[in-house]
Amino acid sequence: MLEIKHTLCPSCSVGCGINVVLNEGEVVGTFPYKRHPVNAGKNCLNGRNSIDCYLNKFENVDEDALIGDIKKELQSADSSNVTVICSGNNTIEETEVIKEFAESNGFNIGFYADNLKNYDEVASYDDVENAQKVFVIGDLLYENPLIGRRVVHAKQNGAKIFAFVKAESSVTSNIADECFNASVGEFLDACKGEVDENSVVIFNQVDDADDLAKIEALNCKILPVFSKSNTKGALNILDAKSKDEMFELLDNTKVLLVFNDDIVDELEFDFSKISKIISFAPCANKTTEISDIVVPIKTWLEKDGSFVNAMGETQTFNAAIESDVLSEIEVIEKLNG
Amino acid sequence: MSYVLAKSQNDDIHKAGECGGAVTSILKYLLDEGIVDGVLAISPCDDVYDGVPTFVTDSEDLIKTAGSYHCAPTMIGDLVQKYFFDKKVAVTAKPCDMRAIEELITRHKIKRDNIYVIGLNCGGTVSPVSGRKMIDLFYEADPDDVISEEIDKGQFIIELADGSEEAVKIHDLENEGYGRRTNCQRCDVKIPRKANLACGNWGAEDGWTFIEINDEKGQELIDGAKKAGILETKTPAQGAIDGRAKVEGIMIKMANKVQNAVYPTVSEMDEWSRCISCYACRDVCPICWCFENCELNKPYFKDETNIPPTPIAFQGVRLSHMSFSCVDCGQCDDVCPMDIPVSLIFDKLQKKYFNRTGYVAGVSDDIKPPLYSPEKTEL
Repeated sequence: MLEIKHTLCPSCSVGCGINVVLNEGEVVGTFPYKRHPVNAGKNCLNGRNSIDCYLNKFENVDEDALIGDIKKELQSADSSNVTVICSGNNTIEETEVIKEFAESNGFNIGFYADNLKNYDEVASYDDVENAQKVFVIGDLLYENPLIGRRVVHAKQNGAKIFAFVKAESSVTSNIADECFNASVGEFLDACKGEVDENSVVIFNQVDDADDLAKIEALNCKILPVFSKSNTKGALNILDAKSKDEMFELLDNTKVLLVFNDDIVDELEFDFSKISKIISFAPCANKTTEISDIVVPIKTWLEKDGSFVNAMGETQTFNAAIESDVLSEIEVIEKLNG
Repeated sequence: MSYVLAKSQNDDIHKAGECGGAVTSILKYLLDEGIVDGVLAISPCDDVYDGVPTFVTDSEDLIKTAGSYHCAPTMIGDLVQKYFFDKKVAVTAKPCDMRAIEELITRHKIKRDNIYVIGLNCGGTVSPVSGRKMIDLFYEADPDDVISEEIDKGQFIIELADGSEEAVKIHDLENEGYGRRTNCQRCDVKIPRKANLACGNWGAEDGWTFIEINDEKGQELIDGAKKAGILETKTPAQGAIDGRAKVEGIMIKMANKVQNAVYPTVSEMDEWSRCISCYACRDVCPICWCFENCELNKPYFKDETNIPPTPIAFQGVRLSHMSFSCVDCGQCDDVCPMDIPVSLIFDKLQKKYFNRTGYVAGVSDDIKPPLYSPEKTEL
């Protein structure tokens, strides 16, 4: 029996809709979700490949035995040396439960948001399209194409596009009127005089805190685009740590609980210094590869939840397929039980 | 070829149908008699702008597929070939769906004997997101209050929950960059004559569906549905036949005007410099069926340092492989994250091929795909 179901793309914070195709109860593909207001049926390659996580999910295991092992580990550990990693891959509901779990047990929380931070006021996607000047930091057209498309629309509407992209050639530079590739700081200094209240600054990576401060000081709307689907939502619940703060936290960690994140891929840290790494993940990644215990959890296709997209809009989604695998929330209920 | 006017004998279906409920009744007949394993048709999911291909196996559920959805620019050809190769299915098909199905039949990707196609005449479709924006801008109505829409007499008509209607000329909407999708504007195949039946309201009396019976299988469907007591038919008056032909002629004339527009050359179009090599256009194309064996997946074509690719290195390969069979469904335009008007060059090349060979993709009677037909090998 063929079914086509609506869901959200989990591959970045843009918040695109995507349809999944199920045949005889199995996920077999994706299908354009043309009614979705964010992307009108357009998805990037990452989005269309997002079902790979489900197709390559871990096989079922004796979860109760693993949970028992984890409980023993946590009971014998000094709570001040236990760190819980939460990420933008967790839904709003999961983030709240993970936070409560960590706080009630006296564990540390490590939440990394691309070295960026939360902003109460951000530009909407319509603001981008209607801006008179758009300042782009990063190869947005390639890395977050469905935001990049809004920049293209802005240009078609007559906006002037300024771009900073490290690479010498890029799709973003191709549409830019003025392009820079030396440093973000230099870009911001050079463009400062051009920025006004009808401008929008969009960025998906700014490594230097001073550069972030420069962006905040500009008299215009800004739009940080995160690499994970619910980083903006998690930022409303938790304070993000900078890269340096994360390293400091990990230096003092003996037991690391990673909830649906690939922190090993993200941070260049010597994780062998941590005595015990426990991962809760739907499919293999670099973190699960070095984990002592891996508990399979539901993929996003198997659960209900909500994400907050980059422009701050809360989007809910329903499970596209039923599953007996535990969700993050069910894992924590068992750990608390 | 022959014509009938038909309407459902089932009150609920008659009421739910766009013009008499004949299509839904024929589908019900096919399911109830066990002639097909299921029906693939469009049904609205969240609202009238959200048409989603839906597979129905219980005829009681067919009612949700009744009605027409102009804001549902879907394509079912690839779904049929991927998931129903060995199943007996009935599908509803716009002309571009039918053309894709026909091209896939010639490639042995769909078995003609396994499929019943109830064609739907089509004046064009509107993208749902821009359609909502269009209603917001050009109508005195909230897009959320629209319960149905229709393209008739050169107008895009919306019906609101309170029973009132509003209409705006399609020409005016399209002049402002709204209205039908650009591929639909240039499409000159308005009646899917390769389908077993081609149904619509052009030339029909109120409460009746005008049906063109295109082959024996189509005639059997009409006869069977009548015998089963679910369909009533009558012969259309000559005026109705002429009226329908006139509508089709006007639609084709409108399309020809757009086709005659001068398109810029690829090198003159900035759009191609936005290509991010995501292959969405290839993956959605109903004619591209090679999937993982696609030449573009070969290592010598994988050059991530060269983004955007030179158009000839990416689209050039696709053009050489399948542009002769482009059915101008516009799916490639719809899914391109960078809004590149991909179908423009594919349709243009198909039309050049037509000028040389007379072959119209998914319409001509060749039993083999283009370039495999003996009479075309010399080209």
